[in-house]
Amino acid sequence: MIHIRIIVTALATVLMLSALSLVTAQHRARDLFADLEAAQQLGRQDEAEGNRLLVELGRASQPAAIEAAARQLGMRPIDPEHTALLPPAARATRP
Amino acid sequence: MRQPAASSTSRSARAGQRARKRRSGADSALSAANPLLAVRLPAWRSRMLLFALFCGFVALAGRAFYLQGGLSTQFLQRQGEARYARTLDVAATRGVITDRNGVVLASSVPARSIWAIPEDVETGKHELAQLAQLLDIPAGELRRRLTADARSFVYLKRQVAPEIAQRIESFNLTGIHSSREFRRLYPEGAITAQLLGFTDVEDRGQDGVELAFERTLGGRPGLRRLIKDRLGRAVEDDWVREPVEGRDVRLSIDNRIQYIAFSALQSAVRANQAQGGSVVVLDVASGQILALTSWPSFDPSRRDRMEPEHLRNRAVTDTFEPGSTIKPFSIATALEAGLVTPQTTIDTSPGSMRIGGHTISDTSSHGVLTVEQVVAKSSNVGTAKIALQLPAQALWDTLTAVGFGQAPHAGLTGAVTGRLRPPETWRPIEQATIAYGYGVSVSLLQLAHAYLVFARDGDLVPVSVMSSEAPAPAVRVLEPQTAQAVRRMLEAAVSEEGTAASARVPGYQVAGKTGTARKLRDGRYTDAYVASFVGFAPATNARVVIAVMIDEPRAGHYYGGEVAAPVFSQVAAGTLRELQVAPQGQALALAAGDPVNRLP
Repeated sequence: MIHIRIIVTALATVLMLSALSLVTAQHRARDLFADLEAAQQLGRQDEAEGNRLLVELGRASQPAAIEAAARQLGMRPIDPEHTALLPPAARATRP
Repeated sequence: MRQPAASSTSRSARAGQRARKRRSGADSALSAANPLLAVRLPAWRSRMLLFALFCGFVALAGRAFYLQGGLSTQFLQRQGEARYARTLDVAATRGVITDRNGVVLASSVPARSIWAIPEDVETGKHELAQLAQLLDIPAGELRRRLTADARSFVYLKRQVAPEIAQRIESFNLTGIHSSREFRRLYPEGAITAQLLGFTDVEDRGQDGVELAFERTLGGRPGLRRLIKDRLGRAVEDDWVREPVEGRDVRLSIDNRIQYIAFSALQSAVRANQAQGGSVVVLDVASGQILALTSWPSFDPSRRDRMEPEHLRNRAVTDTFEPGSTIKPFSIATALEAGLVTPQTTIDTSPGSMRIGGHTISDTSSHGVLTVEQVVAKSSNVGTAKIALQLPAQALWDTLTAVGFGQAPHAGLTGAVTGRLRPPETWRPIEQATIAYGYGVSVSLLQLAHAYLVFARDGDLVPVSVMSSEAPAPAVRVLEPQTAQAVRRMLEAAVSEEGTAASARVPGYQVAGKTGTARKLRDGRYTDAYVASFVGFAPATNARVVIAVMIDEPRAGHYYGGEVAAPVFSQVAAGTLRELQVAPQGQALALAAGDPVNRLP
């Protein structure tokens, strides 16, 4: 009879502990999930920002933009008038 | 009178109390003495009470079981969900379109749509004016939208920049809401506009590459159920449907070459007061399209200014009678059939000939020409005389083998087949005119593709707008010797004696053919022309085929050699520089002191 009582008490304690740990685990899981969610949101934002920056980079490196900037610097497009073509031998002897 | 009455009342009360005390003492004494006098409550009353309590608990247990035990969980679930569960659409991002070097040509960035529930809107005049200013719409128009419509929902503006949406949200206006969406950006603007096409406000492809590759680019939005806690944080989720992100598309286009082609075309169309024009640049080794551009173009970010006329990718969707650019194919057929050699002489005098009641003529009388010179001088009479010796079927076979009369499978929307009638229906005059490019219609892309056959020693690969590592298998169309012989003729055509000296590129040997054709309108030839030039550079070990078409030049010049050939020269020079093709030894001497060095 005493044995049974001890077993029941032990089981009841285990049950209580298990119930408490379940609650704790659930709470932790929810906390972590909320963190994960926030991190993922941040990731998405960064990705969108990255895409936007790539577009900006594309805009900035547009040949038309570069040409306009080059003109502002007083550069001009290559034209045959100002092109000197050197034969391979001449190229090799130049310093 | 009053006093005695009061005292008599208190007296009688005290007497009563004493009497009750005596009686109760007597009762207990009596009941202990006599059990018959004891009060016994009936047993059914307590059982009844017990039973009632039992029933109450059973009812509670039943109800609890009903609510929790699975018989009817709907009600509680509904209530719970209404408080904590949310079903959210998760948008899938559309794929990015890049050029062959990974430069972004089209990309989706987050945006917001601003919408309102008109009946909820309670905004003051000042706030409304601020809102209108932020949304860049007139205040009157905004007020009309919020009041005139009896609808319960109205979009105020879509695809608003997130910063502006945030400022609007910070006003906290009742009845004005915003939701997430995407906005497509095209950094290259008009330069790639017709090629890429555009998307609608829902970010779905409507034209060009955006439409042709919709299945790859467009993702599938997902659906997600979220459980939120009392702080509004998501604590559990469940995917009803996972979103599928759009995949990226890497085109074969090179944005630098595209720009070179676009700017050369744009200035040529303007200088010649032409209606429009197109340029196609193909990579000879793979058949991939390096540049595909048309003018007039449009700015894809200004939807309100788009004109249907400017949306067409003319190089792919428009056909024209190619004129002399088709002659090399007729000559190649005659060479293959063994009818002529490049040195065979043909008498083209007096510069015209009659076939079945029709007269065909050259620009001037060239006298006796070799076959090579027939191509270089672009003699219609010479070509017709050679073509009339050929079986119609042989000419048709060559033209079909190089892709005329079939839409190129380049992965572009709206690609046309052009027109090439079956050879059985050709009369002799038609066989002669088809041989020099009348009575047959092609798109510029088809024409550029067909010239691959000369640039590649007689075989042909399909054109493609996608950048892929493995080139498609080649199909042999002409014998290598034939292709090489025609190539020499095409080199002669851009020499000083040829029709297209202005197509030359300093430092490089190039080859090509001009075309000048009258335009057909309502079945009659008009005084409007299409000037074209198709060629490749360098002439041997060609890297690129470049085709140029200028539609209706009206500034005095209309010959392909005057209008289209200089565009070829500019595009070829720029492209060879971008591809870092070394100038050729043979051409170096030419570059040193030749007049071509001082071309405008």
